[in-house]
Amino acid sequence: MAEFQAAGVSPVAISVDLPEASRDLAVKAGYTFPMLSDPDAEVIRRYHLLHPAAGPDGHDIARPAEFLVDSSKIVRWTNFTEDIRVRARADEMLAAARQLH
Amino acid sequence: MPQTTERRRNVAPWWGLLFAIGAIVCNLVLFLVSLSWQGMLPWLSLLCAILALIFLVVGLLRAFAQAHIYRGRVLSVVLTVVSVLPIGLTAFAFVTARRLPNSVAVPQVGQRVPDFTLSDSSGKQVSLDQLLAPASTGSQAPAPKAVLLIFYRGYW
Repeated sequence: MAEFQAAGVSPVAISVDLPEASRDLAVKAGYTFPMLSDPDAEVIRRYHLLHPAAGPDGHDIARPAEFLVDSSKIVRWTNFTEDIRVRARADEMLAAARQLH
Repeated sequence: MPQTTERRRNVAPWWGLLFAIGAIVCNLVLFLVSLSWQGMLPWLSLLCAILALIFLVVGLLRAFAQAHIYRGRVLSVVLTVVSVLPIGLTAFAFVTARRLPNSVAVPQVGQRVPDFTLSDSSGKQVSLDQLLAPASTGSQAPAPKAVLLIFYRGYW
């Protein structure tokens, strides 16, 4: 987390989880970055990341994706896994963050 | 019957079991740790499952179709039954984990991302503009150069 700050990058997590669930996860995992709640997958849809009926009880969730977005809201780096088991690694994202000018 | 006592050992089912365990280990490693070569692990798990199947079939064929040469009828059946579950789970995990929507409309490098306002874990509304603005709490903190938007499947 401090390393991301040193690179001038603020991580933000987005999912369909309700704020309470995000809080539980943040406490459990020790996350200090904002975790945003998109329960109706409205923003997830806007980003074309909807994975229909893939959640528990068959509700819609986000497909995993990472975007590095600069201050003009332009995408500078992306990562879309092809396998949900292969998760984005902090060192990959940090390397991308450090390459920003 | 001298050849009954001279029948060869049938080790193929043991290799089958070993590869079936290997396939499960690959999945566990994916689940538990994050490695730089983790992208290969799903393929490695699939390879292990395929090798396990091949060895188990060879083991069964030897035990039953070449019973005059090989021993291990009971062994090959038992080890095959034991290995079926890990092999099946590995194949199932491989298929389901990779069934991801592939939208061409996803924002790409160089494109502008849509704005949003969502509530954070304390229920406070947060917009993309706010995320890109200097932090209000840390007084002398400069505006971030970028934000890293991490969309995830959720926690359950």
